[in-house]
Amino acid sequence: MPYYRCVVPKDSVPYEQRAKVAKAFTDIHCGNTGAPRSFVHVVFDEADDRWETPYFLDGGNRAGRSEEVKAELLSDLMGAFREITGVASEDFSGRITEGPAKWTMEGGMVLPEPGEETEEWYSHGQAAAGG
Amino acid sequence: MSRVSFDCTMQEGQIGEELRGQLAVALQEITQDVLGESPDDVPVTFSDIPEGYGFRGGEPSTTSLVRGSIVGGVTQEVREDFMRRICDRWMEISGCTVDELVVSARDA
Repeated sequence: MPYYRCVVPKDSVPYEQRAKVAKAFTDIHCGNTGAPRSFVHVVFDEADDRWETPYFLDGGNRAGRSEEVKAELLSDLMGAFREITGVASEDFSGRITEGPAKWTMEGGMVLPEPGEETEEWYSHGQAAAGG
Repeated sequence: MSRVSFDCTMQEGQIGEELRGQLAVALQEITQDVLGESPDDVPVTFSDIPEGYGFRGGEPSTTSLVRGSIVGGVTQEVREDFMRRICDRWMEISGCTVDELVVSARDA
């Protein structure tokens, strides 16, 4: 389950922008990895976390993708966020951490490792997106 | 320090206060059954994502996330049994569907 938590200052990102960012992140993640759309979670958190910048992207993905894919994914996500919100580069940073897929169950199924997705898993993801 | 803990995140308005106590007890009972931990040593926290702040698939989300942190070294068979029992009980108590729930059991 890709989980993208956007830490933002209170009342700094209106709903319209949050919705656009969520759609953009979903498009980018699915375009880069082939994952079903329904598995992409995006949350905006106005928590008083202390990061190195006022805006921070804290992503969590399944482990097992290449460094190239991970770097491109993070770059694309951060670019979309900046473009939609107008936040300056120096005010925004991010990371993507990873964990074993088998530690998570979604839709009643243990997540497959990247590259080991089955037709059944894709079908379930499509059904969840439509339901 | 607790060897097992849960952090449950729900969308605002999805699960009322009256059900949270039942969910916490269920998580503690499953932990005792599967991992042998005393229910008193299993902290469970709940937090809400405000409406308009949580999305799934680019649309407003109705999904709950149950993040378990467990003592390492269990087999995958035990981990899956643990997560499946949590799924079943959470759906039973909350009334959510299987597609509205994500459960993880990560090594502490």
